[in-house]
Amino acid sequence: MSEVMKQPAVLNTPEMGLKGSTFFSFLPAALAVAGAVALTLLRIRMGGDAFISDGALMMLALACYMTAAVFHLTNLYAPSNLFQRLGLWCATAGVFFNLASWGVRWVAAHDRELAIISRQGGEMPWLWRYVPFANLYDLSLAFAFGAGITTLLIAHRKSFRFLGAITLPLAAMILVLARFIGGELINLPPVLDSYWRPIHVGIASLSYGIALVCFAVAVIYLLKDGVKTEAMGIWSSIFGLAIIASISRFSIFSPGTFGTYTASTFLPTASGGRFPLPLRADIPYAGWLLVLTGLLLVGVIFAFGRYVARHDEAARKWGHRLLKGALVAQALSIVVMVSQVKTLTDVALCDGARPAGVACLDKRQYPKFGEFLAKQRGARPEQIAQMSPAQLVGDADEFVKARSGEMFLSLNANPVELSALITALVATLFVIIFSFRTEKLREALPPLEKIDSLMYKTAGVTFAGLALLLMTGAIWANESWGRYWGWDSKETGAFVAWLTYAGFLHTRISRGWTGRASAYFAIVAFLLVIFTYLGVSYLLPGLHSYA
Amino acid sequence: MSAIEETKREISVPKVAARKTASETTLLERIVTFAVGLALVGALKFFVRNAMSGYDMAGLLLVAATVAAVGIQRVLDFLSSVRVGVSLLVLLVLASMVGMLVMQVNVEGFEDYYAGLTPSQKLLGSYLNFFDIYHSRYFNFLLLVLSLNIVLTSIDHFPKAWTYIARKKLDASPHWLRGQEQHAVVTVAGVERGAAVERIAAAFRAAGLKPTVTEKKGKTFVFGESGAWNRLGAYAVHVALLTIFTGGFLTAQLGRTGQMPLKPGATANEMSEIVFRIDDATQEFTPARDSFPLPFQVTCTDIQQKLIKTDGPITADNTLDWSTQVRIKDETGERDALIHLNHPYDYGGYRFFQQSFQARGNARSIKLRLTPERGGEPLEVSIRRDGEATLADGTRIAYTNFFPEFVMAGGQPDTASGDYNRPAAMLTVYPATGGTPERAFAFSTELPEGIPVGAAKGGYKFKLLEFEKVPDVHILSIQRDPGANIVYLGFALLALTLCAVFFFSHRRVWAHVEERDAHNFEVTLGGNTNRNRLAFGDRFKRLAEAIGGPSATAENANEVS
Repeated sequence: MSEVMKQPAVLNTPEMGLKGSTFFSFLPAALAVAGAVALTLLRIRMGGDAFISDGALMMLALACYMTAAVFHLTNLYAPSNLFQRLGLWCATAGVFFNLASWGVRWVAAHDRELAIISRQGGEMPWLWRYVPFANLYDLSLAFAFGAGITTLLIAHRKSFRFLGAITLPLAAMILVLARFIGGELINLPPVLDSYWRPIHVGIASLSYGIALVCFAVAVIYLLKDGVKTEAMGIWSSIFGLAIIASISRFSIFSPGTFGTYTASTFLPTASGGRFPLPLRADIPYAGWLLVLTGLLLVGVIFAFGRYVARHDEAARKWGHRLLKGALVAQALSIVVMVSQVKTLTDVALCDGARPAGVACLDKRQYPKFGEFLAKQRGARPEQIAQMSPAQLVGDADEFVKARSGEMFLSLNANPVELSALITALVATLFVIIFSFRTEKLREALPPLEKIDSLMYKTAGVTFAGLALLLMTGAIWANESWGRYWGWDSKETGAFVAWLTYAGFLHTRISRGWTGRASAYFAIVAFLLVIFTYLGVSYLLPGLHSYA
Repeated sequence: MSAIEETKREISVPKVAARKTASETTLLERIVTFAVGLALVGALKFFVRNAMSGYDMAGLLLVAATVAAVGIQRVLDFLSSVRVGVSLLVLLVLASMVGMLVMQVNVEGFEDYYAGLTPSQKLLGSYLNFFDIYHSRYFNFLLLVLSLNIVLTSIDHFPKAWTYIARKKLDASPHWLRGQEQHAVVTVAGVERGAAVERIAAAFRAAGLKPTVTEKKGKTFVFGESGAWNRLGAYAVHVALLTIFTGGFLTAQLGRTGQMPLKPGATANEMSEIVFRIDDATQEFTPARDSFPLPFQVTCTDIQQKLIKTDGPITADNTLDWSTQVRIKDETGERDALIHLNHPYDYGGYRFFQQSFQARGNARSIKLRLTPERGGEPLEVSIRRDGEATLADGTRIAYTNFFPEFVMAGGQPDTASGDYNRPAAMLTVYPATGGTPERAFAFSTELPEGIPVGAAKGGYKFKLLEFEKVPDVHILSIQRDPGANIVYLGFALLALTLCAVFFFSHRRVWAHVEERDAHNFEVTLGGNTNRNRLAFGDRFKRLAEAIGGPSATAENANEVS
């Protein structure tokens, strides 16, 4: 009964007319990449002296991402073609600056080592050695680019252009983190000098970027699906509280050190660099402001909790007031912290009195610091174990007395803590923004099933990307270290995130979990990606300690 | 699992019939199963008597008892559900998180970490195997069950996916079509039925769908699809995963790695590995060194370090690359090999890697200035590590040792550190006259007159002009890994199949053509896809427009950017 028809038929295929529009809708992404390549080539031709630095380009990217986010957000509340376009083109400029910064950095790293090696007449290593994927700064730069370019690619669908309102601030946060980490060029650890590095880390940054977009889509889904902004407020407050509680070595809410925020100290090195010391100095007022913020956030959680559980309108109102208060308190504590880290010039041990303009060291850190000093001086663990506590404290005291004049504070000392605080602030801000005319906002968002489709698509691509990440990492490890899998913490972290995305994909058949449950899964998976990206480097020991 | 994205809207395919009888296991059958299980365990115990511990026995007995009690069929049914698979994934995630948060024995710094734990933490951690969780029995058991789950689930779901390819749904009622995720009703007027159908089929083809036309009870159906093979992609992904697991298992069972420290002139025919053990009874942590013999002999002939700053220290930070030249000897002969960073060398199923180096400074070659005691022009000679030079007058000078920070300790030359603070080369001078060889030292700094180590020997005073920095010892890592190739094969498969799965989709569109009036046809279109719904929506809209004109899709408006 059936036949396959083979005769060609002449028809006015609509494909022809649409091809042009498809091309133009991908124009921003193409322009951003082409522009960045052109700028990098220009940097090669012109040399570094009169050229814009990669750091400046990064700051431009940051500014563009923020501006674009503001345009996109405004457009959600007051739809306007002009703002939508401005948002899109700002985002394009941001991606352009972001990638250009990366490209210029590549050339700069090459120039820097060329100067050293050619002075000695050695042979110049291959160019891939200088691909800016050497430390967490480089990775962050690429991660933000991954998020930016994914946003631009998705923006070819007009109904999803607004996505930049969430993804671009997140990308901006990553650039802020990069800024705090500091972009000094480093000597590449020799084991990283492999062509697998650009492949492996390139895939990492792109798939992290897509994971970020997937997370943003999941948040949008929850918003559209009618999850109360108050519930979001509870989660953002818990997030903020967790950060306040865990920074500064858990000092802020711990009895004994209640209300103190301490920042890490540096010593200058002979070559003009800085050496981080495991010695933290008290930043006056910042701790108490953070305690206040914490109290306000607890208030928010209680008030919103009461509203969500019992529909208590009064609690809702109070919750929103407290949330706004918390936003102000968060902003104030960050301002106080940053301004003091920049202005406090002296680091010293304070006994009782607390002179103005001095960041005080707490003597309770001395035993640990003494151990650190002993290790730096080459003592073996068993030797350290035999040293008496008094001896360790004595050593530490002596060192501080001798060198505290040189010690200094810097915003680069605690990059993750600072950017986590800023991220918590942004999360609070977004809850406040979402709470404003929520219904109007929901109407402006595309239909649920479309958001769900996009979530599935981005999660699928992230899953494939993370699989490639794990595989290229395994191959590289096998070529460099002689084992393809060693349960190193970064490996395991990426593996865990990958498994979570696998879980996301499979729950869609086994439980028919689409939509909200899926969205929660995507959020958890992204948090695991962030844990792999930051937590492993800063909290856990392992082979990936450089990035 | 073919249709990760497919929801319950899809036509249901009858479950494999054999499973139905599962619940009707009789008591007798259970007893028999248990007996068989016991016999199996007994046989296993007999064969691997030494390798089995009480734990294994208890575990196996437990498994056998469970299987007997619940019935094989039910256990299989349980294991072949995606739900269980997801639960296993969650368990695996939790176990891996534990492994990330608790430091593992093989990580550098574990000794310090372990020393800082309380006795109860040590007891609990080692009892639960948390310090080496990835090699614990339960972790491996989890991986094994997960593999089993993947196999069983795939077998269970495959027939359904196969129907997409083998038994295509060619017709569809208008009612069913209106229930599809994409649907539209368009009219085609003023043509014969044949022309109308041809127009639809051509539009399908233009949209990349392969059309099939079916006539049934006076109605015409056009079915078009593309990428039906995508339904099988998930199975290919799982095959790839299982390939990787198999390779990993082989590596774990048959693989060996070890280290071999080498300095020029040294020969080794074994590799050694540090293994860490925590004693079950005392919770004491003891690193031990295990050695494995190699089927060949490795002799180091040269080592070299490429530094970034040649006047800088021998540190990883200042290193571009380092290489070891070796000669490998076995019954088949000799061969030379160069091993440098990120460039391993393969021989006889073994792979040699640069792993690390000892940061104690040495010199690969030295350049000396020799000032004759009895006057005359100074000479300059270069000598390689462990090499020698013969002067025109017949004096032989051998370069025998190097001290980066020279000191005399108890009358013997030694070095105070590994850094090049006071470099000195130790020489042996064989006088031309055939007298006894004498030990001499060459320093790079001028020594004051009268210092014994600076004294002239064999008629010459020595000065160290230049030297090429190199570490004392390079440490090679040697690996024998019969599973690696299988893992690589799995990787290649996984990369291909993942791309095939996630960047393509199975798109299906049906058209139900019904004549309303003469030469006036109502075409009900409906379609679905297993992936990338957004793009499918756009394509579907264009398809409907191509068939019925621009106004066609008013019913199911999907914006196209």
